[in-house]
Amino acid sequence: MIDFSMYGAKAPTIKAYKCLTCGTVYYPAPMVCGKCSARRDPVTGKGWETFDLEGSCVLLTWTRVWNLPEGYTEKYLLFGIVQFENGLRASGQLEVEEPKTGMKLNATVKESDERPGNPVNVFVFKE
Amino acid sequence: MAITVGIVGIGHTRFGNSSEYDLADVMAYAATDALEDAGFLERRREIDQVIVGNMASGMFCHQSAVASSLVSRMDMEPVPAELVENGPASGASAIKIGYMAVASGMADVVLVVGGEIMRKVSGWNATDIVATMLHTEAEYNMGLTLPAFGGMFTRLYMEKYGLTERDLALVAVKNHKNGAKNKYAHIQAPCTIEAISDGPEAAVVNNYIAEPLRMYSTCPVSDGAAAVLLVNMDSPKVKDFRKKPVRIAGVASATDTHCVHNRKDPLRLDAVRLAAEKAYKMAGVGPKDISFAELHDAFTILELAISEEVGFFERGTSFLAVRKGETEIDGRLPINTSGGLKSKGHPVGATGVSQAVELVRQLRGEAEEGRQVKNPRYGMSVNFGGFGNNVVALICAKD
Repeated sequence: MIDFSMYGAKAPTIKAYKCLTCGTVYYPAPMVCGKCSARRDPVTGKGWETFDLEGSCVLLTWTRVWNLPEGYTEKYLLFGIVQFENGLRASGQLEVEEPKTGMKLNATVKESDERPGNPVNVFVFKE
Repeated sequence: MAITVGIVGIGHTRFGNSSEYDLADVMAYAATDALEDAGFLERRREIDQVIVGNMASGMFCHQSAVASSLVSRMDMEPVPAELVENGPASGASAIKIGYMAVASGMADVVLVVGGEIMRKVSGWNATDIVATMLHTEAEYNMGLTLPAFGGMFTRLYMEKYGLTERDLALVAVKNHKNGAKNKYAHIQAPCTIEAISDGPEAAVVNNYIAEPLRMYSTCPVSDGAAAVLLVNMDSPKVKDFRKKPVRIAGVASATDTHCVHNRKDPLRLDAVRLAAEKAYKMAGVGPKDISFAELHDAFTILELAISEEVGFFERGTSFLAVRKGETEIDGRLPINTSGGLKSKGHPVGATGVSQAVELVRQLRGEAEEGRQVKNPRYGMSVNFGGFGNNVVALICAKD
């Protein structure tokens, strides 16, 4: 693991959200809690807490895409949907030699500049 | 008593590559066809409202305000005109809004035009533009595209129900057979199961796009437009048109989670089911009453999954019906008689209107020889926005 703090840079992360009124967790962030209708103010974040969505997860389904959109230089990319231990699900890229539905994976995050605009944080699910 | 709404005129360009033309001209061509069909071209300024369905002219053509542009191109000022956008279901949404305008009593005659020019940009760029309908942070930024979700959905379906890649190829063969006879289709060429599945060169001819989806599991990128003229069937004006209207018996839509991964069961298309249920209720009919259907086969798996969600087949059995030929033109329930998105093409903003045009052609008995359904009574279409997160169902009836 690279210690990013020594370079003054932060490791990229992707945040999940928890409604402090009822405890329901979300990814990506809603503007209103689906369970208790508590509002989320994206500026102050009051009444909500965030946490890094990472670590152990299970692969639910996957594909290998050969017709990538503009901006990508790879021949193909693997994508998958995973479920985390807390029940949250996420979609992202897959770096696995032989993907199989149901396999255990580890969710990591990288910074990507392949899409138009500013660089974005992207899930990469690995063995 | 509720106002009865009908379709009294239809128009359609041949789908394909119209990238050298202006979007407003392409839409005006289909609209003029519809007005001529209705015998209302000279009286076009008496139309109460124009509604345009278009998904992304700003990105595909660097062109905005296309409804205003269309009206001016057709010399129809001062008829009111607005744009409706609902991704690849923009066309059917435009019809739904047009229906609401007539049913509310605010308008008696409404022209609905759906159109898209997608081929001014490269295929890679078009894939990217279409992907912008996904959740920006959680899907689009990851590099995901619509074919990627189609592939992941197909894998789940295959693992649960035993669908094979050959079954998907059978849907393509059926749809190309129909599209080959449709004068409006983008790809007017049949394909054989040997060429795309069973033969030695099949893997080359029919290469992977988003595994397990192959090229023949995926619709082409198309340009084109379609138009329908809606009328209040209870108004005295209905006698002014050349043809008897085809009644809109039901039209409804529903939404689902924007993020596909947040659906409780990723194999369920709740918005399809709910839109269909509402349309059935409005029409006072059920799946067994439907004579034929146009289902949004942007990926052939979607024809199968939608046909189950709308109640034509039990879950996990639609591909068995395809194997038995039940969805062929002369089968028990013909599906995608136009060739579907697979063969007819999918100019995203036009598709929902194009599906309605096919319902009317079949119900009037005006489809080409070899693809006309025998004595149809009710036709149904499903136009699928996003990856099933905003869906419109339409039922038309021949009275």
